Amino acid sequence: MKLSGVAASPGTALAPALVVAAADPQLPDGPVDDPQAEAGRLQAALDEVSAALQAQSDAGAGEAAEILAAQATMVADPELRDAAVGLIRDQRLPAARAVVTAGEPYAEALSGSDSPYLAARAADVRDVCRRTARRLLGLADPDLGGLRHPVVVVADDLAPADTARMDPALVVGLVTSGGSRTSHTAILARSLGVPAVVAVEGLLAAVGAESLVGVDGDAGEVVVDPPPDEATTWRRRADAVAAKRERAGAAPREPGATADGHRVELAANVGTTIELRAALAAGAEGVGLLRTELAYLDRSTPPDEAEQAGALCELVALLDGRRLVVRTFDFGADKPVPFLDVPGGPNPALGVRGIRLAQRHPDLLDTQLRAVVRAAAGGPVAVMAPMVATLAEAEWFVERVTAAGGDDAGVEVGVMVEVPSAVLIAQALARELAFLSIGTNDLTQYLHAADRQEGALAGLQDPFSPAVLAAVVTVARAGEAHGAWVGVCGEAAGDPEWALLAVGLGVRELSMGAASLDGVRAALAGRDLQACRQAAERALAASDADAARAALSSGS
Amino acid sequence: MPSAQVTFTNEVGLHARPAALFTRAATGFTADVSVSKDDQTANAKSLLSVLKLDVRHGDTVTLVTDGPDADEALRALAELVGQL
Repeated sequence: MKLSGVAASPGTALAPALVVAAADPQLPDGPVDDPQAEAGRLQAALDEVSAALQAQSDAGAGEAAEILAAQATMVADPELRDAAVGLIRDQRLPAARAVVTAGEPYAEALSGSDSPYLAARAADVRDVCRRTARRLLGLADPDLGGLRHPVVVVADDLAPADTARMDPALVVGLVTSGGSRTSHTAILARSLGVPAVVAVEGLLAAVGAESLVGVDGDAGEVVVDPPPDEATTWRRRADAVAAKRERAGAAPREPGATADGHRVELAANVGTTIELRAALAAGAEGVGLLRTELAYLDRSTPPDEAEQAGALCELVALLDGRRLVVRTFDFGADKPVPFLDVPGGPNPALGVRGIRLAQRHPDLLDTQLRAVVRAAAGGPVAVMAPMVATLAEAEWFVERVTAAGGDDAGVEVGVMVEVPSAVLIAQALARELAFLSIGTNDLTQYLHAADRQEGALAGLQDPFSPAVLAAVVTVARAGEAHGAWVGVCGEAAGDPEWALLAVGLGVRELSMGAASLDGVRAALAGRDLQACRQAAERALAASDADAARAALSSGS
Repeated sequence: MPSAQVTFTNEVGLHARPAALFTRAATGFTADVSVSKDDQTANAKSLLSVLKLDVRHGDTVTLVTDGPDADEALRALAELVGQL
């Protein structure tokens, strides 16, 4: 059976399906008739979950194995068990609800700690309680750790926690019935270089536990249980993709530079630890864009300073001296969060989001900035605000960072340039800030007044557009004039041809999904700076995006 | 009830791996074992309870054991803290 969806991450894969259930189980309310029997069921489930986690830990190694072992001990915790049994006995709660309720005070207490390590354990407590609840309700775990053979993961959608222990070597494809090109699954898949298709209608009805699933992440196609001859074709294509990835992985990872040695920092866009690991393995020289929204989505209260600092410290430690650029939270009208009531407005993309939301809720921003400052004790950290449109907003942001202790901690302050007004005042912004990072996705849509979601206007969403290139050169020159470094962290930075133009226009840092690093590095090594500059000149003078793209090949 | 004061000289105190090791060692005894820091007391057999205490490098805690193998438990756990 063939299904189609939205192509979310390129490549082809064919493997048996791993169908993953929803992360948050629906908890029954009770009351239960036989509390004693219910307590017995709870004890059995706790024992089973603990044993399963311990077995996973024994099979693994390193940090992941230690977390699993700690989780195995948590499930077996006598206090947690006694509290849950008490709830079953006194309030006649079903075991699944009792264990989740009993774990919450521990999670709360830990998340309030100023120790990043303890704060991070709060998520572990919640995870083991939900895991036990799922066991009691007969639901499968969404855990993608402990896989033994290659699979295509099939799910409604995946939460960051579900993929935390995912082994990218064994998850060869991702398919979801929900999600979009910008959902967590899609972003994760792109940064790990795993083929993915999202928003596939009828997916879960079509795929069974024994199904063989093919994913075409370029065409947005999914095939379930293909006939043998078709399966052979899919297999051949998937093998070719895997072989290509392996060859690229074997090439030496020099720092980014043109053929004549002009340095260009090649950094990665990441949102999670696992993405960072993949990026470092692909030779990332730093993180040019840390998306911090994931920590805020799907929760009733915002993460506190300790939790955020814990997550950031972990990334800083992994980066081991390389720079981490943190983008402050970028949600709002376009990406609602449960704990804030933000009016959607007639056009969310042009609504209260990014720094506009931060100005209305400075406490949220200050908490995040204090966490950033704490993380800066462990290595070089920079912070930037999204959706800045005026100099006053940039000045306000600098003040907030200073107030949080950013100056003393050596935190570089910058802004995203993704609103056309910011391009026009780039000189003033560059005077005020340490760096400017161009977000090509939003900048392209705002420059052309063409909605990113509007398929009919795809031609106006092309970052090769001479207007986008003109914006890049304006910002690059402003940075050059005032000693602010200029980078690009939009998807265009990962396109080898666009990257050559950007370098010719004066960009010094390119930040992209891990899967794009090898291609961009190779493209840069094949041209000298002068050739990039000449191509950029021709592209700036081109009549549209297609003509600008052609400018690259015409002169060489 | 036997009791002893012990100081954590290891880098992470009773966090991470040391916390799990300590809890598992305590669970191996029949005796009840409590750990007190300042005015808070934790059940040494409960990892969650021990983590909540937030014992760090340089902290001194009081161990109290109660049960048939109380003396043995106290000696073994105090020794373990020294080796963490």
